[in-house]
Amino acid sequence: MKRCLVSLLLAGSALAQQSDAVLDAMKAEMARSTSLSLGQLDKPYYVAYTVDEATIWSAVATLGAMMSSDLQTVRIPQVRLRVGDYKFDNSNFSGGGGGGARYDLGAFPLEDDAVAIRRYFWLATDSAYKGALQTIARKRSALRSVTVSEQMPDFSPAPAFSLFKSRAPLTFDRKLWEDRVRKASAVFSAFPTLRVSAVELTVIDGTHRFVNTEGTVLRQPQELGSIQIRASAQAPDGMIVRDFQGFYSARVSAMGSEADLLSATRFLAEQTVKIAAAPMGENYSGPVLFEGAAAPQLLAGILGRNLHIARKPVGAGAQAASTELEGRRGVRIMPEFFNVVDDPTAALFGNSETDDEGMPSRKVSLVEKGVLKDFLRTRTPVRGYSDSNGHGMLPGLPTPTNLLVTTTEKTPVAELRKKLIDLIQQRGLEYGIVIRKLDFPSSAALEEARRLITSGGGTGSAQPVPLPLYIYKLFADGHEQMIRGVRLRGVNARSLKDILFAGDDNVTFNYMENGAPYALLAGGGSSAEVSIVTPSLLVDDLELTRMDDELPKLPTAPSPLTAGQ
Amino acid sequence: MKILRLATLLAISAAAFGAGETPLLDIMSKELQRNFAALKQKAETPPYFMAYEITELESHGVGATLGVLNATGDSRNRFLDTTIRVGDPALDNYRRVRGDNFRFTSPQPVPIEDVPNAIAQRMWLETDRVYRAAADRLIRIKTNQQVKAVARDQSPDFSQEESYVHVGKPATVTFDTARWSQQVRDWSGDFRKYPDLLASSVQVNAQVDNRYIVNTEGTRVTDGRGYARITISAGAKAKDGMDVSDFQAFEALDAAGLPGADVIRAAIKTVGEHVEALLNAPTAEPYAGPAIFSGRASGVFFHEIFGHRIEGHRQKDEAEGQTFTQKVGEKILPDFLSVTFDPTLRKVGNVDLNGWYGYDDEGVKASIVKAVENGVLRSFLMSRSPIDGFAHSNGHGRRQPGLEVVSRQSNLLVTSTKAVSDAQLRQMLIDEIRKQNKPYGLFFEDITGGYTTTGRAGVQAFKVMPVIVRKVYADGRPDELIRGADIVGTPLASFSRIMATSDRTEVFNGYCGAESGNVPVSAVSPAILISEIEIEKKDSGQDLLPLLPSPSKGSAQ
Repeated sequence: MKRCLVSLLLAGSALAQQSDAVLDAMKAEMARSTSLSLGQLDKPYYVAYTVDEATIWSAVATLGAMMSSDLQTVRIPQVRLRVGDYKFDNSNFSGGGGGGARYDLGAFPLEDDAVAIRRYFWLATDSAYKGALQTIARKRSALRSVTVSEQMPDFSPAPAFSLFKSRAPLTFDRKLWEDRVRKASAVFSAFPTLRVSAVELTVIDGTHRFVNTEGTVLRQPQELGSIQIRASAQAPDGMIVRDFQGFYSARVSAMGSEADLLSATRFLAEQTVKIAAAPMGENYSGPVLFEGAAAPQLLAGILGRNLHIARKPVGAGAQAASTELEGRRGVRIMPEFFNVVDDPTAALFGNSETDDEGMPSRKVSLVEKGVLKDFLRTRTPVRGYSDSNGHGMLPGLPTPTNLLVTTTEKTPVAELRKKLIDLIQQRGLEYGIVIRKLDFPSSAALEEARRLITSGGGTGSAQPVPLPLYIYKLFADGHEQMIRGVRLRGVNARSLKDILFAGDDNVTFNYMENGAPYALLAGGGSSAEVSIVTPSLLVDDLELTRMDDELPKLPTAPSPLTAGQ
Repeated sequence: MKILRLATLLAISAAAFGAGETPLLDIMSKELQRNFAALKQKAETPPYFMAYEITELESHGVGATLGVLNATGDSRNRFLDTTIRVGDPALDNYRRVRGDNFRFTSPQPVPIEDVPNAIAQRMWLETDRVYRAAADRLIRIKTNQQVKAVARDQSPDFSQEESYVHVGKPATVTFDTARWSQQVRDWSGDFRKYPDLLASSVQVNAQVDNRYIVNTEGTRVTDGRGYARITISAGAKAKDGMDVSDFQAFEALDAAGLPGADVIRAAIKTVGEHVEALLNAPTAEPYAGPAIFSGRASGVFFHEIFGHRIEGHRQKDEAEGQTFTQKVGEKILPDFLSVTFDPTLRKVGNVDLNGWYGYDDEGVKASIVKAVENGVLRSFLMSRSPIDGFAHSNGHGRRQPGLEVVSRQSNLLVTSTKAVSDAQLRQMLIDEIRKQNKPYGLFFEDITGGYTTTGRAGVQAFKVMPVIVRKVYADGRPDELIRGADIVGTPLASFSRIMATSDRTEVFNGYCGAESGNVPVSAVSPAILISEIEIEKKDSGQDLLPLLPSPSKGSAQ
């Protein structure tokens, strides 16, 4: 540990020379990799190496007791290698890749030893090259039996881009934060009817290194502070309800105070108890007001995940996972008073200088006066576009950074409720629906998520729509009643046109996008920081349906927290 | 070491323990009584037995390759296993039914700090989940015709055992990360002398497992121990694409007991030289003839082909091959061989054994099992799942956290009354080669491990993975290392061909994987001479060597 710290400090002080032993080793081995060849077979035309280094502190506590507390240092290497040329290479093929040569690569060196680092990349590149040769051969063979309607290049060339940044290692008071997490988790002890609760801390002090054969060289410090709070409860009829709140910050020093954490935990506990106590809702069809976090959560799914064009891979029976907005450039997709930009340069959680492909992230105007103008793009050409705008944040999934939704017509938030009441009165509805939070990112376990996706089939959306968590009936006299057990139906990108009014507020919602349905926390994999800023939204013609799942019985024994009472 | 000795001396009564030395056991007991009472009173199908086991794991490790640290990790976790039996001991939810596998428990994480409510809440919810699964399965079993149809073994599902109270201080682990980091850096650097290696590593791990067990029969047990291990491995790829590798490991109770630098550096030299020699060694060709298994290789051989087949639960599982089920009292090995399982034995010579424990995962005291005496099968390894003729556990019910207990091996000890010196054994091999008129015999010097199939479907076979195998010639030529030899065979046939053993035992320490996960085991055996063993050539794969020379060799090549 001490030695690791020393090497980081040295890297910081060597700023003037812009030298980094790991980068140097990566560059040296990458240079050699371009000479790879095997007989008359394709040669590599593009090689990129990544090393993501991180010191990760994590702690999980429940009811005032630590479940785990870990500190780990990792270096995660990655080799990307393309054979052929930009027009035709081993990518965009669904037929499965060649495995390449099998080597026991072991773990990547945690210390800055050039030989050890180069040896790792030497074998990983050799394996990637052999795998790429197998893949391109299979791809050629697959193409013999199909006709491709549109010939698009496989990869877009990009100019070299360099960025070399350093900073001192983070100072993180592990004990202080573990005490906070423990203390926050103890807040739940005052709510004995909850089932499971936990508070989870993750702090990352990282460095991203990237080099490619086009001359791009990146060294970027990375930082993340995350606190996740979750709880579940069982309603009297057996339904298990959950709530989750994540606090994500790109600056560990800007993580919230202890008081904030405790009050957020208390709020979540109270809400979970309230949801469990709320009556079941009924089927509903009519206007829905998305207030607070619910508005950006809604748009994360139906807008954020549809703002790209999926590239159809070559391969027998390759299914194109086309997005709902594909082919709609120049078409009005939202009311005219809406503008949407994705701005990676904004000083928000999704701020990013480059994407996962080493491209500088550019601001993109996506929707102007309700009309779709552009897409989030990566270096994989898609119909109508050949170049990247730096949004290849996740492998295979272009992702927003700071998605900023603004409007030229603003309705005061209090006014939105009146508009909703007006609407229900016009239509003779008994009540309208207000949703203040969706289950996104979802704290559902994988098994539950699977069930939700299958039972929610036929919603007409490519993306499963998150469950609403904080749902209220709003009656004409202005009073509210919380309900539970209903889900949104038929919500998709088309619903964007049914937005009637937008509030005069700006709700900022931060989350980690991992591409999983509902951005499931249990989904794992790599994730990208996203911030969505949007006003509250009143949307017409939405449907809520009552969930009719089989419900588990209540436990035979009472909770140990209530047993003594 | 000291603490562990204390743990065994401190077998104190539950009453004396009330002082709160191990609050965890108290928390568990309380939750056990509360849930058991509630379920008995309110549940439709009440349980007749419940048990909790919490396994506390703390581990530390570092690893390096070529002088550079590449792994470092520390962790501390607790996992809860929950056992609930509904029905009655004669027929409960654990009944083995062909084609209906079950798992009620799961590795449920619980807090690592002794906050009663925090731990109790997780136990309560897990109990509810396990109870429902248990009750469901009992109903399913009772309506299953297959059960009512003749199972040959009509034994009950759960044995009566005495309850045990044994509470000691938890074992602790000390690991000087800085010191061991420097050690693995230094040692792994020795592999730089072998430029043809593609991979190499030296790792040191130290951990403690403390198990806390309570059941509704009154058992309250803590059982803890340390493990420390140095593993040395290296691998390379031969010109024909075949992967060759060698591996050595040293085990001890704690990091302080691990061997010193001289031993480790010698082992690294051996591993490095072995791999380089294997690269240039000729490949094995199909062969059947006499062979010697070194003590370590023989230990693995016995573990795989014998040990797994006398695990008690297999004797009443209709899907199992049941090689030995009907053979109690019969001769199954040459009469000069005996096999004992002794989980109470901690050392052989100066080597710490890996397969010892004080109590098994059902809280039953570990005991010595004389499985084979003078070639005659006497007993099986028993958990609390009785079989015909064996109504009780002998303390071999084991598991990895999160899996159901089955009977497993501990320290396997092979002893022989027909023991000769290593030199004499070798002479006997040469005589046998001549007698069988074979071009050569084989010497299996080291083995990484193996596996065995005991099921009824498919061939009952075993496979052990030899690493260092030498041809032994009868005409005085020196031994010749070969690579890619795979042993094939069927179990019973192999036993009858053991001709003699050496008078020197060796220890193989390892982890054995089976239905109930990985458990630490040892196999202690002398070298054995077998009149006929069959080998085949391992599939070499299609891989080419790396296309570019190693960066550590520069561009000279």
